[in-house]
Amino acid sequence: MKQTISQKIKVGTFVILGTIILVAALYFIGNKQHIFSKNIKVYSVFQNVNGLQLGNNVRYSGINIGTVSQIEMINNAQIVVQMLVEEKTGAFIKKDAIATIGSDGLVGSMVVNIIPGKKNLAVIISGDSIASYSKIGADDMLSTLNVTNENAALLTSDLLKITTKILDGEGVLGALITDSLLTKDIKETLYNLKQTTKGTDQAAVKLNKLLSKINFEDSAAGVLLNDTIAGNQVKKVFNNLEESSKSILEITKTLDEMVLEIKQKESTFNYLTKDEELPKIIDSTMLNIKEASEKLNENMEALKHNFFFKGYFKKQERLEKKEAKKNQNNEN
Amino acid sequence: MIATRSIKEKTKVFINEIGDITYFAIRFFKELLTKPFEWKELVRQCYNIGNRSLLLVSVTGFILGLVFTLQSRPTLMEFGAESWMPSMVSISIIREIGPVIIALICAGRIGSSIGAELGSMRVTEQIDAMEVSGTNPFKYLVVTRILATTLMLPLLIIIGDAIALFGSAIIENLKGEVSYLLYFNKVFDALQFSDIIPATIKSFFFGFAIGLIGCYKGYNCSKGTVGVGEASNTAVVYSSMLLFIIDFIAVFITDIFFEI
Repeated sequence: MKQTISQKIKVGTFVILGTIILVAALYFIGNKQHIFSKNIKVYSVFQNVNGLQLGNNVRYSGINIGTVSQIEMINNAQIVVQMLVEEKTGAFIKKDAIATIGSDGLVGSMVVNIIPGKKNLAVIISGDSIASYSKIGADDMLSTLNVTNENAALLTSDLLKITTKILDGEGVLGALITDSLLTKDIKETLYNLKQTTKGTDQAAVKLNKLLSKINFEDSAAGVLLNDTIAGNQVKKVFNNLEESSKSILEITKTLDEMVLEIKQKESTFNYLTKDEELPKIIDSTMLNIKEASEKLNENMEALKHNFFFKGYFKKQERLEKKEAKKNQNNEN
Repeated sequence: MIATRSIKEKTKVFINEIGDITYFAIRFFKELLTKPFEWKELVRQCYNIGNRSLLLVSVTGFILGLVFTLQSRPTLMEFGAESWMPSMVSISIIREIGPVIIALICAGRIGSSIGAELGSMRVTEQIDAMEVSGTNPFKYLVVTRILATTLMLPLLIIIGDAIALFGSAIIENLKGEVSYLLYFNKVFDALQFSDIIPATIKSFFFGFAIGLIGCYKGYNCSKGTVGVGEASNTAVVYSSMLLFIIDFIAVFITDIFFEI
């Protein structure tokens, strides 16, 4: 009897222990799947779920907050994913949150990542749908990588040709690498350049010193640089110069035309300069004019002594004297 | 000609035995559902089968977890996937390795002991004496033992699995510097109900198979003391084979319901 009681106790303990372990295991698994917590249903529509399965985790800011409870295709480009999210965590998810499908590590299972929203909107409630963002899938990535690889192969083959040419001494780069004389010249050039830069540096220092000595307030340069009125005046001067240059240009054009006209045989100037008879005629004409003027002077002198014109000439003399006196008074 | 006859004979015997076992199982269910019920004997058998196997199962489970982790570590390290160790070990042990290995160990210990005990009782005519005295030997000896193995083996497997995971956690803590908290966190992160529930249901069938074959072989023992040894031996062999067959069917059914 005693043995039976002890056996019962031992068997009871054994059964309880086994049951506790099983229940604990089931509880922890259920807890991880958010079965025992209050949940809200959140929906998101994707074009491609990239192998997402029921029971996959839902993460918000990197924390597991729920699981995928349903995946339903409603048409050829829309897949509705239902997520069970913990109610207490759901209080932090705003209506502008975005759901994306990613993988847990490089070879891990798929997860739904909920990215927090930026706007200060209201929080989601059960049955709400949030925006989704379909990332590039692994297949797309591989196809892109394939193109990249092909391009890389082409690039490397081209690079190989270039490096072969360079090593053979072809082209400028090849010459740079293989030609020792060119290297020497370049070294000399660089040395000279170095010297030049040194000189330039010194000159710049001197120029700085010179500039620092300039009185920018009172000098012409200062006035030009600082005085806005002077600046405007200078601008006007330049404008006037521009206008003058335009006028000069027009004048030169006119002169060019005149010169062209002069060069023509029929022109007056050409006639004056190139006709041999004309100077003779002018000479004789000038002699006749000289004689005529001398005779006219004699006539005028005779008129001054004439009774009829005497009064007029005296009146003229008086007016001249008056005029001279007026000028003298003005000068004093 | 002789060989053909031998195969025919063996096939006939085998099919006959399957039929016998089926009848034996039907009789078990019939006796189980009829009164009186031997509670005291059931508790005693539960103690013998469950508690007395606990040490063996614990040691087996612990070493299983230890060895499995030690052997898997280098391979996972080659791929830089040591962090997957808790997930891999837990799923492997809970789903398949734990139940099968512990069931085989129990088949060796429990199956042989039941076969030998009932076989010796049959040979020494104790069973006949019970029938004469008015006690139903099938109800007292067979029903209690089969029920005890069916109930105790799942518990042994659960405890064995837990100890195996603990052994694995020790190795991970020592070699991989993974804390126990992180290890078990990852374990329960990886495990699903679809891992633990089918394995538990499967272990009930394992227990039933071990009990049924052990009892059948012992209860139908003949040829004296030689028969007792034979009954014990064949009980282990048959139950081990049956375990694998049940496991194979269970995996198929699990795949249908849970999509492994």
